[in-house]
Amino acid sequence: MRAACRRTIVSLVLAIILGLGGTAAGFTGSVVSAASAVELYTPYLRLSAPPGESITYSIDVINHGSSTATVDLGFKAQSADWEYEMTAGGRNVSRLAVKAGESQSVSLTLHVPLEVEKGVYQFEVSASGSVLPLAVEVSEKGTFRTELETDQPNIQGHADSTFSFTATLRNRTAESQTYALSAAADPGWNVTFSSGGNNVSSLEVEPNAEKSVTINVEPPDTVKAGTYEIPIKATTNSTSAETKVEVDITGTYGISVSTADERLNANVTSGSSSKVDLVVTNSGSAELKNVNMSASSPTGWEVSFDKPTVESIKPGESARVQATIKASKEALPGDYVVSITASSAEKSADAQIRVAVKSSVLWGWIGILIILAVAGGIYYLFRKYGRR
Amino acid sequence: MKEAIAKLGGWLKKLKIRAERPSSDGNGIRKANAEQSGARTPSPFWVIVQKEFGDHLRSWRFGILIGITVLACIGSIYGAVTSLKESAGNEQSDTAFLFLKMFTASDGTLPTFATFVSFLGPLIGIALGFDAVNSERSKGTLGRLLSHPVYRDDFILAKFTASLLLITVVLFSLGFLVMGLGLMTIGYPPTPEEFIRVVLFTLVAIVYVGFWLNLSILFSIRFRQAATSALSGIALWLFFSVFYSMIVGLIERATAPANATSVDQLLSHANGILLLNRLSPAYLFSEATTTLLTPGVRSLGPLTAEQVVGAIASPLPLGQSVLLVWPQLIGLLAATMACFGISYAMFMRQEIRSRS
Repeated sequence: MRAACRRTIVSLVLAIILGLGGTAAGFTGSVVSAASAVELYTPYLRLSAPPGESITYSIDVINHGSSTATVDLGFKAQSADWEYEMTAGGRNVSRLAVKAGESQSVSLTLHVPLEVEKGVYQFEVSASGSVLPLAVEVSEKGTFRTELETDQPNIQGHADSTFSFTATLRNRTAESQTYALSAAADPGWNVTFSSGGNNVSSLEVEPNAEKSVTINVEPPDTVKAGTYEIPIKATTNSTSAETKVEVDITGTYGISVSTADERLNANVTSGSSSKVDLVVTNSGSAELKNVNMSASSPTGWEVSFDKPTVESIKPGESARVQATIKASKEALPGDYVVSITASSAEKSADAQIRVAVKSSVLWGWIGILIILAVAGGIYYLFRKYGRR
Repeated sequence: MKEAIAKLGGWLKKLKIRAERPSSDGNGIRKANAEQSGARTPSPFWVIVQKEFGDHLRSWRFGILIGITVLACIGSIYGAVTSLKESAGNEQSDTAFLFLKMFTASDGTLPTFATFVSFLGPLIGIALGFDAVNSERSKGTLGRLLSHPVYRDDFILAKFTASLLLITVVLFSLGFLVMGLGLMTIGYPPTPEEFIRVVLFTLVAIVYVGFWLNLSILFSIRFRQAATSALSGIALWLFFSVFYSMIVGLIERATAPANATSVDQLLSHANGILLLNRLSPAYLFSEATTTLLTPGVRSLGPLTAEQVVGAIASPLPLGQSVLLVWPQLIGLLAATMACFGISYAMFMRQEIRSRS
């Protein structure tokens, strides 16, 4: 388009040069027209416009002469970034014929580029020696860029929740852009984008329009408490925008109790004690402090711990506690349940240990002694009365 | 056990040899090794044992008793099998230790196998022992026998051994009969633990029957009349099997604390009654067999609520079951041995030449 315009301008210039019969004069040279009967008129010579806007001038070409004049229209801009269109009757026009004493109306549309400095820009519309100077005051500095913004870049939550951020993607360029969305998150993090209810990986935005995109962030299960920044990027081959969302993970509290060998049973002889190695694991993402060990056991039993309180367990780590289970003297042989609880202020967990009680073999030996005594008595009888 | 069976096998062979040869011995026991032409002469003890065994086996008395017992046992197995089959479709029925239920289950019409053994077993023991010594004495064969080079203690030992061997054979046959019939009808093989429990049950039954055997031998030494010793044995058996529990029940009601205020009071009363009950060998035997055949039994005495808190209903391992009834087993064994010891001492010191 722009190239086409340029070509038109060049051809116009050539035509005028030829038309003037070799006069070595460009547009600058024909600023002052000597004796032209054609006048160009527009009411607003200096307008103010923001970048990206279009200004439409209605230019009247007036023929003061006595004969029909053929007018070649020309346009000169200070910088090539400015685009223009000259139309009449809905079509581009470059040459006009104006009857004597009459006027023709031509519409000039001037597009203010997006990437433009603040200031006043001069233009000239020329028509067969007559020149119409126009000025456009660009009210602000123009841009050619993309904006990606989030209203609320920080969200706090648990490790197992999904964080949803809303971002606005603005296309401040003159062209429609297709943005590829990406997030530079650490491995294990899952970042998805959705727009209009659908998960998307790229987004098309019309020039000077905006679209809202939802960023869903799922932290990994093993994430520790803390603040994580995730850079989010929207890129095309010509422009890109970047923002950061911040995920503040408050730790989850998790605790589990098991034994060192994962066996939840123990043997104990009634009246005596047996030791069980317990492992208290912090399965959450926040540190657990002051973990108290307690047990609920059958009546008459005693359960003691070598460390009744574990001061602190870091996330993912575990502490070992040795429990001594002392069975009641009256405990029946067979299985009992001893429930061991590890509790911190935030969370508690328990392990049920099946304790097989064995009766003491002391009475068994006493019984054997009785039998031996009786057998000894019979042996004595054999010795005393035998072989008669 | 194997040893005993091996000996028995050997004895049966000898019996055949003897049967072929014209028998010269009459009713009494005679020393036969003088006639034996083998290279190895058996000791008089084993000869007496063999003779006694054979006499028992061929006696009407034993035949009738064993017939009753076998019939009763088959009846009880039939009852157990039908009750097991009825409960087989039941979701709630516990399939653990199903095989042991052959011995303890009943359909309500007939007592269980264990009950029959505890009831009829003593009768076999008494029948085998009540005339062991006094009939020999009254027939005059005792003096004749002891005039041969036979030690006196060999005689009493052989009497006891022969009867006990017979009891062992009978009880093991019955036990294995139940197992075999059970295998055939329910088609459910026993686990090793179940098998060991059944064998232990049979051994305890042998000890129990052995006690009654020894008691009746003791009576046969003490009382000169066979009828007296038989009646005293049967009276004691009836007393312990039937009446003792009634009397203890009476005492329990009479001495029960009027106002059951404290647990300790109730507990001491229950323990006292239990002690009274345990004076009866029949009760000891029933406790021992119940525990051995029902692995779910964890305690035999009164239970306090404190002991039950946190307990899981689960079968006891075999060792723990044995340990639980160890006092009962010791008691039975000691009573049996004590009876034997007394009868031995009594017999050894007795005047044997006189007939009455």
